Amino acid sequence: MAKEIEKAGIPVALISALYSLALTTGSSRVVRGTRIEHVCGNPRLSPEKDRELGMRIIGTAFKALQTEVTGPTLFDPEVEMLGVLA
Amino acid sequence: MKLELGNFPVNDVSFGPATRYSGGALQINKRQLEQAILKDSRLSSAEIQLAKPGESCRITKIHDALQPMVKVSGPGTVYPGVCGRPVVTVGTGRTHRLTGVTVMELAEMPMYEGYDSPVEDFVDMSGPAADLSPFSETTNIGLRLVPDPGLSILDQNEATHSAALWVSDTLAGLVRDLEPPDTEVFELPPCDPALPRTVYIQCMRSSEHYSNQVYAFWTAIYGLTRLTPPWLLHPNELLDGAVSAGSPYHGPAATSWVYANNPVVMDMYRRHGKEIAFAGVITIRTRWSAQFEKDITSTQAAKLAQMQGAKGAVITWDAGGNDFMETIRTVQACEKLGIKTVFLTGEESPESGGPPLLEPLPEADAIVSTGFGGHANRSMQTLEEVEKIVGFETIAENIMLPKEQVTARRGVQYFRGRDIYGFSKISAFDF
Repeated sequence: MAKEIEKAGIPVALISALYSLALTTGSSRVVRGTRIEHVCGNPRLSPEKDRELGMRIIGTAFKALQTEVTGPTLFDPEVEMLGVLA
Repeated sequence: MKLELGNFPVNDVSFGPATRYSGGALQINKRQLEQAILKDSRLSSAEIQLAKPGESCRITKIHDALQPMVKVSGPGTVYPGVCGRPVVTVGTGRTHRLTGVTVMELAEMPMYEGYDSPVEDFVDMSGPAADLSPFSETTNIGLRLVPDPGLSILDQNEATHSAALWVSDTLAGLVRDLEPPDTEVFELPPCDPALPRTVYIQCMRSSEHYSNQVYAFWTAIYGLTRLTPPWLLHPNELLDGAVSAGSPYHGPAATSWVYANNPVVMDMYRRHGKEIAFAGVITIRTRWSAQFEKDITSTQAAKLAQMQGAKGAVITWDAGGNDFMETIRTVQACEKLGIKTVFLTGEESPESGGPPLLEPLPEADAIVSTGFGGHANRSMQTLEEVEKIVGFETIAENIMLPKEQVTARRGVQYFRGRDIYGFSKISAFDF
C-alpha cells in the first residue's frame, strides 16, 4: 500500500512494529513502532509517558516525510527525537 | 536417552461387543466408550464414528488427531503436560503404539476466542484432496463431541481434548502388556565424527498473541502454548508426544499424530550414524509481536544449534503471516554462524499476486518447497460431494468467515492444508 501511494507521488512514512519486514519489502521511509498490538505507544506506561512516546513516534514520522531517502531507510524515534520532548 | 517403540499395526477397525485388539484387528464397544466419555459432565454428547481409507468420506472440525500410544516403562506419560498430565521429561524406556489409526477430536467450538481460531479444516478419505493429508491412509476413529456451551471456550477445549486423550490412552492400553510384532530402538549414540552434525529446527506458532491468554489451546510443548524462548529437545521427546495438539487453522497437518510421526524427524533419525549425526531438535515459538523478540528467538535458536556443534539445520514452520519472520531470521542466523540450512516450506500461490515467500532473505538459498497447499491445483478449488460425513454436517464456506456455514457433504473449497512436513505426494515442475 505504501509503495503504491508513493508511486502516485505522495511520500509515505510507514510506522511498523515489524520494521525489518517493512524494509526488506521495499518501503522507503520506515518508522520503528512499539508492538503489533500498539504501534504508536505503550499502554503499560503511565498515560502521560504513553502519550509522550506516541508523540515521539508520530514526530519521527513527520520528520521522515521531510527527509530525502535513496532507498529503504529506518527512522528510530529514540534517535530522531532525542531531547525534543525533554 | 534410549526409547524402544513397539508398533502394533491395526489393519481393521470395527464396532463390536468388546473393546480389544487381536491379531491386527481393533474392536471397539461403541456404546461403552461413549458412555464412559460422558461421565465427564462437561460434555453433553459424544459419538464415535469411523473413517476408513478409500471411503467417500469427509472428516470435519478436527481439533486434533492423536497417535494412540502408551508408556510401558520409563518416566512420564505420553502427551505430557496437556490437560493436567504430568510434565516429567519423556522419551526413554518403552512406548507401545497402535499404528495405522488415529483418534480424532471433532468439535465445533473454536480453539479460543479470536478471529484465527475457527476449526474449519477437513480431511477427505478419497478423491483429489485425499493426497494432501496423511490421514487418508489411516483409519480415523472420530470422536464427535459436543461440550456444554455454557462453559468457557477454554473449558470446552479442555473437556474435548481430555476425552480424546482418554480414548487414545484406553485403546493404546489394550497393547501395553503385549509383545509387539515390530520394535524399533531410537537413540543417538556417538558416531563417526566426520559425519555432519545436523539439527532439526521446528518453528511453531503460539496462540498467545491472538488469544491474549497464556493457556489457550493450541500446539503445546509439554502443555505450554504460550510464547517461550527456544527449547532444546531430544527427538525421543517428540516421539512420546511432548509436542502435541493442533493449530487447525493451518490444516490437518498440524496435529499430535503428525508431531509424533514427523517425517523430517523420522528421516533424520534413521540417517543418524550413516549420513549425518542427528544433533537434536530445537523448537521455537513464533508470532511474537515485537521485532526484538523475533530477533532474540532466531539468534538464540541459532546459538543453541551452534552449541550442539551443528554444521547443518533443517528448518520447518507451521504458520503463515508474520510468523515467517522468526522462521526466516532463524535461517539467516544459522547461516551467519556457518550452519548450512535447508528450509522446508510451502509457498504462496501465484494467484495471491505476491511473492512466493513473505520476506526472501538472501541467506535462505536452499529451499525445498512443498507447494501451495490446497491451492496447488485449480481442480481442487471445489471438491466433490461425499457420501459420508464424520464429524459435523456443516463447514465454513470461507475460512475467513467461519460463521457462514455450508453443507460439508457437497463441494467445498480446499482453502487450507499446507503440507508442512512433506507428507503429500504432489510434485511440480518449474518451467
